[in-house]
Amino acid sequence: MAASSVIDIKGLSKIYGSGSKATVALDKLTLQVQPGEIFGYLGPNGAGKTTTIRVLLDLIRPSNGSASIFGLDARQQSVEIHQRIGFLPGELSLWQGRSGAQVIHYIASVRGDIKSVVKQAEELAARLKLDISKKVRDLSSGNKRKLGLVIAMMHSPDLLILDEPTNGLDPLVQQTFHELMNEFRDKGKTVFLSSHVLSEVQAICNRVGILRDGDLKAVQSVEALTDVKFRWVHVQFRDGVPAEVAQGLRNLPAVSEFNADGSHARMRLQGDFDPLLRTIAAGYVEQLHVEEPTLEDIFLAYYSGEGAGA
Amino acid sequence: MSGIIMGNTLRTAWKQMLYWGLGLGLLGMYIVFIASNSDIVQGYADLFESLPPALLTAFGASGAELFRTTEGWVVTILVSELALFLSVYAVLAGLAISANEEQSGILDVVLSLPISRRAFLLEKWLGYALLAFGTVLISALLPTLTAIGLGIDADIGIIFASIVAVYPGALIVLTVTVLLSTLFRRRIAAIGAVTAFVIGSYMSNIVASSASGPIADLLETLSYFSHVGGESIVSGEYEPGGTLALLVAAGFGFALSAHLFDRRDIGI
Repeated sequence: MAASSVIDIKGLSKIYGSGSKATVALDKLTLQVQPGEIFGYLGPNGAGKTTTIRVLLDLIRPSNGSASIFGLDARQQSVEIHQRIGFLPGELSLWQGRSGAQVIHYIASVRGDIKSVVKQAEELAARLKLDISKKVRDLSSGNKRKLGLVIAMMHSPDLLILDEPTNGLDPLVQQTFHELMNEFRDKGKTVFLSSHVLSEVQAICNRVGILRDGDLKAVQSVEALTDVKFRWVHVQFRDGVPAEVAQGLRNLPAVSEFNADGSHARMRLQGDFDPLLRTIAAGYVEQLHVEEPTLEDIFLAYYSGEGAGA
Repeated sequence: MSGIIMGNTLRTAWKQMLYWGLGLGLLGMYIVFIASNSDIVQGYADLFESLPPALLTAFGASGAELFRTTEGWVVTILVSELALFLSVYAVLAGLAISANEEQSGILDVVLSLPISRRAFLLEKWLGYALLAFGTVLISALLPTLTAIGLGIDADIGIIFASIVAVYPGALIVLTVTVLLSTLFRRRIAAIGAVTAFVIGSYMSNIVASSASGPIADLLETLSYFSHVGGESIVSGEYEPGGTLALLVAAGFGFALSAHLFDRRDIGI
């Protein structure tokens, strides 16, 4: 399995500093990303997402463990790997005094095959509604992000490594970005993206890895991650929430986080519906709404140590 | 090595070379213009003869007799100033090789491209080494052409060669800046260290020229200013060993920089 992985990380650790000032950024991380998938790498700031990406790109060196891409060692064969990948950093910096077109031309020339790469870049820029004749210093942060995406994708790489790719993009462009990613995957190519935007990961990713304090907490498909045992239940009563119903709901072992506000009650249900339905039947129920947990809920569950099945 | 990074360096920084070359060349033209007046040259020679040797050294001369010839006067006044100003240019150019882009984060994008760190550093170093040579060449051509135009009574070839001989010193400063940038990572720390190197080297040259003994000899050997051959070219005592030593040291310095740059983390 690991031999065919696009990204194969084994026991990767990265420690910054030494002695009492040592900070563990990654702790024995092991992870595989398969061909043709969009892999979401989730975690809060400081979790180690960017450190992982920087090791993959050979910008920093691991303290222990190894990383390979396309079966090539990320350290020893970085030039061959870089030929086949596109990268968008979390905080993109480019030459302020150059136009987008000049930046594209320069990077295309380093990559080789300038004509076709520049043509592809122009098509991508048109799709993202980016004016590449403007100087970098005159671009808004969103437009700089678009330019970064163009640079990452213009040579049709086999693997895209994107660090918080939609930061600063407006919703319409985010939609275009999602389309681009799906098209990219449909061509059998692979995307490794870090994000803290859970809806984005839910919308486009096949699998998700959740990172916390340099430790990979879980790797699951988005479907499996959302297939959890709890639901949010909203009940609207005609005559306010009856006191005995409220008390009965509070006493149910499957119900937690019960809140009543006027005629509306909201609770977290972990288990069967039947006891809850029997309890609320004592009042006049106008509306009953069951809400699936969001990835945000799952995310928080992981960070609080409950895990998805909580 | 594809040469693309070097080509890009030349394309984007040639104006810097031109402006520095013109600025320093204008300074040279001004000094040549003054030297066209033989009364001023003789007046200076008389004045410098009355100065103590240490003060003469500060002007870049080991003896007042150098000021008696026009080319000696031009070279002695101009070369020490040029060596200092070119050191500033070389520090700025050295920072542009990797430190500026590392600090701004641009290096993350560049090093994610299919080019090795060593090749990247080599191409940029070669590019800026060429630009530094261009700057020295412009700095030498303007006063030389002025001397020809004014028809001054001097050995024009000596003036030109003395100014061009400053180049290995600039190359050393460029290389030391790259080396310190790879060691310290933080640009401000590299600037501080290279400034200490340039000033220390300048002061060592002055001290070594004013004193004698093993320590003075050591200081003279260590100072790159003492290997800039302006005065020895004028006096006909120039030996290429010093220039060659500076070029070899620059080569070794670059090799060490590339080795260190290849081994360390970027942008932390």
